[in-house]
Amino acid sequence: MKEMKIAKNEVVSFLDSLIREYKVFAPVKRDSFVVFQEIHSGSEALLDYANSKKPPKEIFFPQSEVMFAYSLHGEGLGIEEPAFEEKPRVIFGIRPCDARSLVILDDIFNSEMYKDVYYIDKREKTLVIATGCNQPNSTCFCTSLGGGPFSRDGSDLLLVDIGQEYVVQAVTEKGEQFLKKHSEFKDVDEHSLSLMRNVIETAGALIKSKVETEEIKEKLDRMFDDPFWDLVHEKCLGCAICTYLCPTCHCFDIADEATDHRGKRIRIWDSCAFPMFTLEASGVNPRPTNKERTRQRIMHKFKYFVDNHGMAACVGCGRCIKECPVNLDIRAVLNSILNR
Amino acid sequence: MGLKITGVNQMQEPREKVDGWEPKIIAFLCNWCSYAGADLAGVSRLQYPPNTRIIRVPCSSRINPLLILRALQHGADGILVSGCHPGDCHYISGNYVARRKFAILNNLLDYLGIEKGRVHFAWVSAAEGKRFAELIKETTEEVRALGPAKELVKKQD
Amino acid sequence: MPDTSVMIRDTAKKLLDEKRVDLIIGFERGTLPLCSSPCFTRRSEEAERLIWNASCENNLAKYLRRREEKVGIVAKGCDIRSIIGLIKEQQIDREQVFIIGVPCNGMIDRRKIEAKLDGKEILEAEEEDETVILKGRDFTEAIKKEEFLHNSCKTCNHRNPVIYDVLIGDKVEENQGFDEYKEVKEFEAQSADRRWQSFTNEVSKCIRCYACRNACPLCYCQECFVDSSQPQWIGKTTNLSDTSIFHIVRAFHTAGRCVDCGACERACPMGIDIRKLTKKIEKDVKELFHYEAGVSLEDIPPLATFNPDDPQEFIK
Repeated sequence: MKEMKIAKNEVVSFLDSLIREYKVFAPVKRDSFVVFQEIHSGSEALLDYANSKKPPKEIFFPQSEVMFAYSLHGEGLGIEEPAFEEKPRVIFGIRPCDARSLVILDDIFNSEMYKDVYYIDKREKTLVIATGCNQPNSTCFCTSLGGGPFSRDGSDLLLVDIGQEYVVQAVTEKGEQFLKKHSEFKDVDEHSLSLMRNVIETAGALIKSKVETEEIKEKLDRMFDDPFWDLVHEKCLGCAICTYLCPTCHCFDIADEATDHRGKRIRIWDSCAFPMFTLEASGVNPRPTNKERTRQRIMHKFKYFVDNHGMAACVGCGRCIKECPVNLDIRAVLNSILNR
Repeated sequence: MGLKITGVNQMQEPREKVDGWEPKIIAFLCNWCSYAGADLAGVSRLQYPPNTRIIRVPCSSRINPLLILRALQHGADGILVSGCHPGDCHYISGNYVARRKFAILNNLLDYLGIEKGRVHFAWVSAAEGKRFAELIKETTEEVRALGPAKELVKKQD
Repeated sequence: MPDTSVMIRDTAKKLLDEKRVDLIIGFERGTLPLCSSPCFTRRSEEAERLIWNASCENNLAKYLRRREEKVGIVAKGCDIRSIIGLIKEQQIDREQVFIIGVPCNGMIDRRKIEAKLDGKEILEAEEEDETVILKGRDFTEAIKKEEFLHNSCKTCNHRNPVIYDVLIGDKVEENQGFDEYKEVKEFEAQSADRRWQSFTNEVSKCIRCYACRNACPLCYCQECFVDSSQPQWIGKTTNLSDTSIFHIVRAFHTAGRCVDCGACERACPMGIDIRKLTKKIEKDVKELFHYEAGVSLEDIPPLATFNPDDPQEFIK
């Protein structure tokens, strides 16, 4: 695997040069939190941050996305196709957990059975430059889910912070080609590589939060009718914070908004936590109470998704833990399941 | 055409201020007093600007703030809400209760920075045909001076 | 404070053992520093988990509706005023609720602390009388609780329970000599343009998660106006116009009912200043109709009644 390096004090000018050619997304400070946004100058990017409030899935799967527009006129019905991405894109500074979430989303939106043109367009046109985590947070539990602070899954390039420089690992062919085209990346010496190895090892040991996730699916296989679910959901408010801020959650609704003779079909995020999520036209709701919905959320992420895709739909980023207003900690739920 | 469209708003999209722009005002009038007052203005052949579209409601208390906000969202440049004078409500106390709602809503919209002069409230009785015509003239000019609605307008993005 | 926790536990255990209640809703330790979590206990051994400290910020009145059983609730001043609201709106029976009232000096706003620490993660927090000792990876810092209280706690004038079935500990001193509407007035003094910019800037952060609505004990409509689709009041996307109307109307629906517990603002993951609207409405209700929500079981909610002399200078 090709490795190069870039000096930290050259990153801003590097991003500036990228902006001329690409649409660049980077973490940006907004009020008291960080979000991924398109930047127009390299200095807007935040290089030193824990993680963004909203997951970068919204760069590939926006919260509201127009699927098509229509209008009625004299001659009949006109359909306007969505604008696909014109410029190639780069997402810079994404964390390895969020990069891994793209692998999970790929399995949904770009599978043999179903090809989502909206997602695929963005995904294929985007180069993913991830920044590993030298100092994971106490709520990070990526290592319990097959990831890690320097996991390469989902990225094209992975940056490792060794002090004054980043060592850059080319994870994919696309990443390697990119390195060749940009002179800011220099050859890396053995000393830097050994610093890199140190950083990676240390970071792995800094992840304190662990859940034995391998046995969860087998437990859940037998737990559908377990009275455990009667209690787990009680404090849950049924809002959409955990689902909207989760990098792997991908459920959506399709809404039509029309005005007189014109309209749009819009895809919007939806949440299995909402009562209306499974409300059928007949009035029947197969998940009538919070109990069924909470059970579903856990089962989907740690059993059904494993059954269907071979991996848990969770990357251990910790956002749901930090942001839940009632501290419904998924790690605690998983540990309770393991102890049943 | 054979194509059935559901959920279509009948209002037009918000417009730009171009030459010949005319304000569009939606008036919610209570059936028993204000609507009758408007009717009297008509029967008396009193002239007033044609910019107002009237929506008849049984009572001013039927007015849900969402109706007003939605109208501003979808093309109304100004809103007029009118009911019976306090004490004369056909349903005895509807306008009294509505008065409290309107006070809160009026203050809230002003607080958020919605221009004063977009949303108007009035009490007009069935005998006040002339006053109704005057009210419409006044309201139309106030809204015209403000220009097309801009704050809550839903942009087609 | 350990004493209060012990008193709450003892009270809870007694109530459960004597079967005077079937369930006690309180707080237990959370999984993060400076964080506690709503807790539902049905047996006296479970009541051992109950605690009380300056992170017990949730409004537990949210969990009282639609229950068959007799419920005990550990409640601070604002929670109890919400309970009064729910009783007046006939959502719960007074006899069904056993109120364990806890005088409160205010709850700590974790986000204010995190902002002060500028990104450094808090790994441990130890609460003492007036201070909290924060420990991170490479720092230790002591902060004064009263400098980091939630905004709604800073303007609270009902620190002591208005009604209760049992009072835990001694009453505390009420907040005196401050203007609870200071921020509203400062906002009012700005130009209309500035105010609109400021409002839209805040709500543009909204991700329509409805945590504010779901955390509010008084938002309990079977079908919320945002969920109606035929006809649809507002769209479900994050369109700024739709989102603005969501916040305006939700605030309006709390008129005369909101007790300013702050649960909405605390729940919001994006830190939107929701109370900017609700506090204005609360001020208007007080000034126009001389009514304060949640202090009396007898008075009539202001939008359910009227006075022939109600102000109407704004009506032509």
